[in-house]
Amino acid sequence: MEQVLRDFIVALRASGVRISVAESIDAMNAAKLIGYSDRNVLKDSLSVVLAKSYYEKELFDSCFSRFFSFEAFSHEKGNPLDNPSIEQQDGNSLLTQMILAGDTSALAASMREAALDLNVNQMQYFTQKGIYIHRILRHMGQENLRRDIQRLCQEDTEYSREVATMLTNAEDYLLENVRDYVEQQYDLFAGSLEEELLENYLKEIKLSNLEQRDLYRMHAIVHKMVKRLNDIHSKRRRTFRRGQLDFRKTLRSNVANQGMLFDIKWKKKKIDQPNIVAICDVSSSVSAVARFLLIFLYSLNKAIAKIRTFIFCSNLVEVSNIFDDYPVEEAVAKLHSGTGLGVVLGPTDYGQAFRDFHEQWPNIVTNNTTVLILGDARNNYTNPETRLLKAIQQRCKRLIWLNPESPSSWGTGDSEMHRYRPYCHVAKECNTVNHLERVVDSILDR
Amino acid sequence: MKSPQHDKLSSIESIQECLRHENYICNKKIATTLYLAHHLGKPILVEGPAGVGKTELAKTTASFLDLPLIRMQCYEGLDESKALYEWKYGKQLLYTQILRDKLSDVIAGADGLAESMARLHQYDDIFFSTHFLEPRPLLKALQQDDGAVLLVDEIDKSDDEFEAFLMEILSDFQVSVPEIGTIRAITKPFVFLTSNNTRELSEALKRRCLHLFISLPDPQLEREIIRVRVPDVSEQLNIQLVSFVQQLRELDIKKIPSISETIDWARVLLLLHADKLDPDLVRESLHIILKFEEDIKVAEDNLLEMTGKALKETVR
Repeated sequence: MEQVLRDFIVALRASGVRISVAESIDAMNAAKLIGYSDRNVLKDSLSVVLAKSYYEKELFDSCFSRFFSFEAFSHEKGNPLDNPSIEQQDGNSLLTQMILAGDTSALAASMREAALDLNVNQMQYFTQKGIYIHRILRHMGQENLRRDIQRLCQEDTEYSREVATMLTNAEDYLLENVRDYVEQQYDLFAGSLEEELLENYLKEIKLSNLEQRDLYRMHAIVHKMVKRLNDIHSKRRRTFRRGQLDFRKTLRSNVANQGMLFDIKWKKKKIDQPNIVAICDVSSSVSAVARFLLIFLYSLNKAIAKIRTFIFCSNLVEVSNIFDDYPVEEAVAKLHSGTGLGVVLGPTDYGQAFRDFHEQWPNIVTNNTTVLILGDARNNYTNPETRLLKAIQQRCKRLIWLNPESPSSWGTGDSEMHRYRPYCHVAKECNTVNHLERVVDSILDR
Repeated sequence: MKSPQHDKLSSIESIQECLRHENYICNKKIATTLYLAHHLGKPILVEGPAGVGKTELAKTTASFLDLPLIRMQCYEGLDESKALYEWKYGKQLLYTQILRDKLSDVIAGADGLAESMARLHQYDDIFFSTHFLEPRPLLKALQQDDGAVLLVDEIDKSDDEFEAFLMEILSDFQVSVPEIGTIRAITKPFVFLTSNNTRELSEALKRRCLHLFISLPDPQLEREIIRVRVPDVSEQLNIQLVSFVQQLRELDIKKIPSISETIDWARVLLLLHADKLDPDLVRESLHIILKFEEDIKVAEDNLLEMTGKALKETVR
């Protein structure tokens, strides 16, 4: 039974519940204490020991019911092996005997035994399913069954033909059940490995090539990354509350008290709240990256960073208030369509965008501001207004340009990247979620 | 070790029975957790929406086991000196004053500073002994001869540092006082930690605990709770009000009513001598179960429909 529990823990881990070694030992002890007689009590106890949050409890419940299900060879669909007219014969293989006896529980046991011998729980990729199905069948004695069928066919009496048909049907039935079982095991043990693989792949894929179906997965990944960033940076911010004794300051301020150290001063390390101004191109060539950049920025804890957002295409508008009014994802979707925001989705004009920014919001860039520009710098051969970018750069703390194109294509065609480049503190290629995370992390670091 | 508590905790059913005896109705899950916690000697971390009886569980456990309940309310800035121990500075000062004369006796006849110092060193630890130690909740819980129920309430409100500091107590039931040494529990206390999930607790803390999630009860359980807690409420009213509250929980409101609110409402209805719900009565007493203006507005919009449905429950 311990082996079963160990397998169960492996399956739980695969489905995303974090279980330490200490906890698995606890689970063993709990199971020993409770016993395996009452399914619900066992489930409750294991859940108390292994799943440590509401979310994990849900995973646990579904995993438990899948793992300890005994659906294989159930009689729900009717039992095709129920054939009392057929009698046992000598010389039949074990599997044939089981089938002829209609002993489904023996079949299920034999299948589980085979699965255990073959280490089905080592299965990693969905391509391995077929192999395992056939290995299990062979282990159960499929070849002997076939030999029996062949022999019966050769005997060629009416009775033997009847038995042979029945056995052939039984073989299909067997295959079906083994397939179900293997799929179930695959879900239990291998599902998350594949998920992990996909996740790593998605982190590196170019956002513009992202398929619609992967979007929701991507959101989950971004949330995970944001949570990590939040954790890192909120911890750092907190340290500013803890001070060391500033002896010089203390002495100086206590001169008035005849040198009694009455009013104690602490060294304080003040960590600035980064002030971010994001200017995003929302034309179709860049929008996929813009979308995730904004999700990133706005999912950050409000205490960590102050953000104002502008979007532009043919002209520039401020959209910070949209993020205040709507939840992040909804707001981003709104920006995507651009309806009702006053942004003209004509040909992209960087010069016009900088002019708008310079005229309408001349004072929001201070020496504490990080300006984040996201765009491909493809200006449709209009005036790039580099002098305005230079003016912004001189006022701000840092100017970061994120370009979804790779550096080799900067400056080709109508790309003005080489002319903007000198005025950026950092100009980076940015087209995967990993790039985005690094950029946001570095902004928060200062 | 056989303690008198042992019998009460000998099986899951007996725990459930004992809790019921103390007017705490629980499902099997809670009883199972208590059983495991006792036999594995582990603390229980209780989570769940506000007002489902997390703190009540600890209180009830203390009363049915006949153990003292030692409660520690967590808040931001809680530190060792408030949670674990503190030196009785006043007493130390007073004693040094009183013993000043004795001091001269001790040093009398000593030749030079070094020798007086050496003599004083023989006594150096008296002022940092257990006599001068003021035990705070955590230490007190470890010092109880027959064990105790220690309730660390709303652990999520405390700082990360405090959480880390709790680890020693939770895993080994001991604390280290630098001046004295390690103090071990005489009898392992029964520890409850409650959390409202205002922040994620650390993995390390969770690993050391059994995790119990108490969710809002189903109608049957809730009716039973009302029956036990407010015994004078008529069966008809009980069914109706539980049905109404259950419907409220389905609505999109800020703060859904929990068991404690249902109990309060039942008490109020009892005071108003109501024996069945009617829309006016509900409208007037709605502020007892709902704590936000917006929520009350949402509920009022659906009030007639929900009351009607609740009334139908008893017709059937």
